[in-house]
Parts: sequence; structure tokens; C-alpha cells
Amino acid sequence: MTATLETTVLSTVDTAVELAGVRKVFGHGSSAVVALDGVDLKVRPGEFVCLLGASGCGKSTLLNIVAGLDGATSGELQLNTSRPAVMFQEPALMPWLTAARNVELALRFAGVGRLARKRRALELLELVRLGDVADKRPHELSGGMRQRVALARALASTTVSADGAPALLLMDEPFAALDAITRDVLQSELLRVWETTNTAIIFVTHDVREAVRLGQRVVLLSSRPGRVVREWDVTSSSDTVLDEINTHLREVISGHAV
Amino acid sequence: MATPSDTLDKVGAGLDALDVPVEAHRPPIWRRFLKTGVPPIIAFALLLGVWQALWASAILPEFQLPAPVNVWNELVRSISTGEAFEVLWTSLHRAVFGFVAAVLIATPLGLLVAKVRVVRAAIGSLLTGLQSLPSVAWVPAAILWFGVTPSTIYFVVLMGSVPSIANGLVAGIDQIPPLLPRVGRALGAGRLASARHILLPAALPGYLAGLKQGWAFSWRSLMAAEIIATSPQLGVGLGQYLHNGSSLNDINMVIAAIFLILLVGIGIELLLFRPLERAVLRARGLTGAL
Repeated sequence: MTATLETTVLSTVDTAVELAGVRKVFGHGSSAVVALDGVDLKVRPGEFVCLLGASGCGKSTLLNIVAGLDGATSGELQLNTSRPAVMFQEPALMPWLTAARNVELALRFAGVGRLARKRRALELLELVRLGDVADKRPHELSGGMRQRVALARALASTTVSADGAPALLLMDEPFAALDAITRDVLQSELLRVWETTNTAIIFVTHDVREAVRLGQRVVLLSSRPGRVVREWDVTSSSDTVLDEINTHLREVISGHAV
Repeated sequence: MATPSDTLDKVGAGLDALDVPVEAHRPPIWRRFLKTGVPPIIAFALLLGVWQALWASAILPEFQLPAPVNVWNELVRSISTGEAFEVLWTSLHRAVFGFVAAVLIATPLGLLVAKVRVVRAAIGSLLTGLQSLPSVAWVPAAILWFGVTPSTIYFVVLMGSVPSIANGLVAGIDQIPPLLPRVGRALGAGRLASARHILLPAALPGYLAGLKQGWAFSWRSLMAAEIIATSPQLGVGLGQYLHNGSSLNDINMVIAAIFLILLVGIGIELLLFRPLERAVLRARGLTGAL
């Protein structure tokens, strides 16, 4: 399958995403809540970064800002990528469309022609090993299969740009609602897809094990307001790193005990 | 020796095999007929039996409660002379024409009310209120405005069905899970593309319910208009046929007309809306109520 995917041209730019001092405040006056407070983050093209944090650390807010679904209150966001693709905790497939049509939808919005759309959708479904169920509708698929269709759709929306900008995939706890075995399989599936497509991924999770297994780099965010606490390079993951991250995460959370 | 990723691939393949949906086995056609076709036939036969018994007991005079066979003869007469088809055609083409016009007006109206806050605040409750106003109440005004002309009839039909269809669409859009339009935005859909590829299809079940109700309202509004606004230049529709029966004190004709009106209502429901609704719900896996 590797040959059929046109991987993005290696760009001369060495950052795909750059956030500088991003601040996000919800509400006004005394009831205002600071969700993000001066977040700096750089992601290289093709890099797999996991954002780790407890509830209320603004992980999802950060992702929404990068996705363009939400605006930052202040700070700067620079994207050197094609349109970022987003995957949510729920697959959010259109229930009236078949798996293939769901993937095609992303391409249709980008103005890709009918035939090219069909071919590309099938390629992407093959990539997530769902070529056989292309004509099934979401309600006929299992939770794990639906999430893979969502992955194929997200990939479709990020790899369409013709200018060769690197692709970017934003994932908001995409496997949190799945059972343990399915999650395990999907994690390895995602790694395989990532290696094949050379897409930069920002993956939000609250599961330390998942973050260490998937990411090249783990970024720990504090809660309320969200700030970057520490970063770990986890390319050569070991149990000591896992324990260290766990300790730090616990510290961040227990800091909120009254 | 298998690598860990090979083992996981196998687990994944196993999961997929277990998850592949099992094709539902459809019962043979005679059994489905037995389940869905026979009960209404029995109910109808029972109704006829009660009617016949009531008539035979002669509690009510013949001009109030006719014998079933006399009504049947009236139906056969009007069908054999071609009168029934003429009357049905006059009414049906009015109803269909009025309904199509109502759909064309109500769909953009519903979209506006659902998506533009000012419009909703301005006419949202008016639209809901109009639904509870019997459209026959418009007949006197319409006669004063348009005279006894087809315009009067179409006006009443539109006032009956437009609010239902528009409200159905609004309800359908209000019930769309907010994640779907969000996904659309994330995939790069503009406002128009989002309306066409996400909002409208997602609202289809509610829209369809509105269409169904809109049809029922336009059919009954039409009957009301035809019964009240009778004139030679309008031609004879089902309503006029019913009106004529009443003027002639011919209870057979009156009951026959009611049967024909019912027949159209049930026929359109069974031939058009039921299959449409089934197809839409089945495609979304909402087969619980079927």
C-alpha cells in the first residue's frame, strides 16, 4: 500500500506548527476562565507529538485553535501545513453515507473530481484495511471500524493540498471510547499509517501509556490555566520515562486538591 | 517467530471478522403479507360487519345510515360512468400542484428560520401558531380577496401546508447533533456546502415528517376549500361531489365521497410516504420503529 499514497514533499520549513504565547479566555469579567495561558509549542513536519494532561488543561481548546475551529484570545499561531485534519473522540461519520462516501465528503469539499474522489477514498480505506466494507453504512460497522473510517476521512482532508505543504492531523482522544483490545489494535494501526503518510500528528490524550507508546515527544500541560509544564523525548521509550511522566502528572493534578 | 506488530495485525483482522455485520434474513413475502396485510383487512371486514348489523337493526332511518351495498353501488356507478375519475383527477392535481408549491416555498423559509436568528425570533412562533390555525378559517377571507377562483383554493392549501413543512424542517435541523456541522467545518465546508451536504441530509428525517404532515394538511385544506367554495367555473372536485351529495340529500353519495377522500389519503401514505420514510430510516440504521 505504501506506493499508492502520495506522501507530502519534504518541505524546507522545519516547523509545521508554531504556537507562541497562545492565550485563551472564556467569558468576561469576574466569571472569566483562563483555559490557556501562554502556550508555546513547535511541531516539526512529520513529527508525532502527544499532548498530555488531566481534565481542564485546555488540551481540546488548544487543538481547536490549531484546527481553526476556535480563535485564540491572544498569541500567535503559525501553520506551514495544508488544512489541518481533525479527529474527535466520536467518529462523527455522516450516518446517511457509506464509509466510502464519508471519506469522499472531505475530498468533495476540496473540489476534487468525482473519479479521483472515488479512487482516493478507496485507497485511504485500504490503508486502514477497510476496503471490504467501503459500501457499508456507519451503523453496520463496529466502533473501532468507524473510528478507522474517521481516520481515513481525516487523512483525505489533510493530504489534498496540491502545494506540497506537509500534512497535519489533530486527534482529540480518538481512542478513549474504545475497549482495550480495539484501542491497542488502533494504536498500532495509527503508527503504521503515520509511518506511511509522513503526516505530522498532534495527539491529545490523558493516558500516559498511550502518549509514550505513540509519540516521539510528550508535552505535559498543567490544568487551569493550561501551560506547558515539561516535555519528554520518548523515541526510545523506557519504563523510567513512563514513571517520571506519571509522577509529574500526579503532581499537576494533586496541586488542585483543596 | 511473529513480531508483536504481526500479532496485533492478526488480532485486528480477527476483530474485523467478528465485527462484520451479519446480513439480516428477510422472511418470505407471504409471511410478511400475513403480518402486515391481513390485520387491516380483518379490521375493515369487522367494520363492515358492524355497519351492516347497525343498518339491519334499523335504529336509524335509511336516509341517515345507508346500507353498505347501496354505497358500494354508488361507487360502482360513479366509477363506471367515469365521474369518480374526473372528480379524483380534479382534486388530486390541485392537491399535488399545491403541495409542490408549498414545498418550494416552505423549504427556503424553514432553512431561514432554522439558521438565521433574527428570522427565527421574528416569525418562528408565528409559523408554529399558524400550524394550529385551521386553514379552513382562511376560506372566507380568500373568497373576498380572490373570488371563487382556483386562486382561493390554492391559497387555502398553501396556508395549510407551508407551516407544517417549514416547521418539520426547523425541527429536523434543531435535532442535528452539533458535532456533524463541526466536522463539516473541520473538513473545509463553506456555508452553502455545509447546508447542502450536511444540514439538509441530516435533517431529512424531520423534514420528511414535515412533508408527510404537510401533505395531510394540504389534502384536508383542499377538501374544506372545495366543500365551501363551490362554483360551476371551478369544476367538480371531491369536495364539490361531497357537497352535491349533501344538497341532494343522497347519503349514499356522501359516504361514497368520504370513502374516496380516505382512499386518496391512505393511498398516498402507503405508496409514497411510507416507502420513502422506510428507505431514509433504514439507511441510517433507525429500524427500531419499522
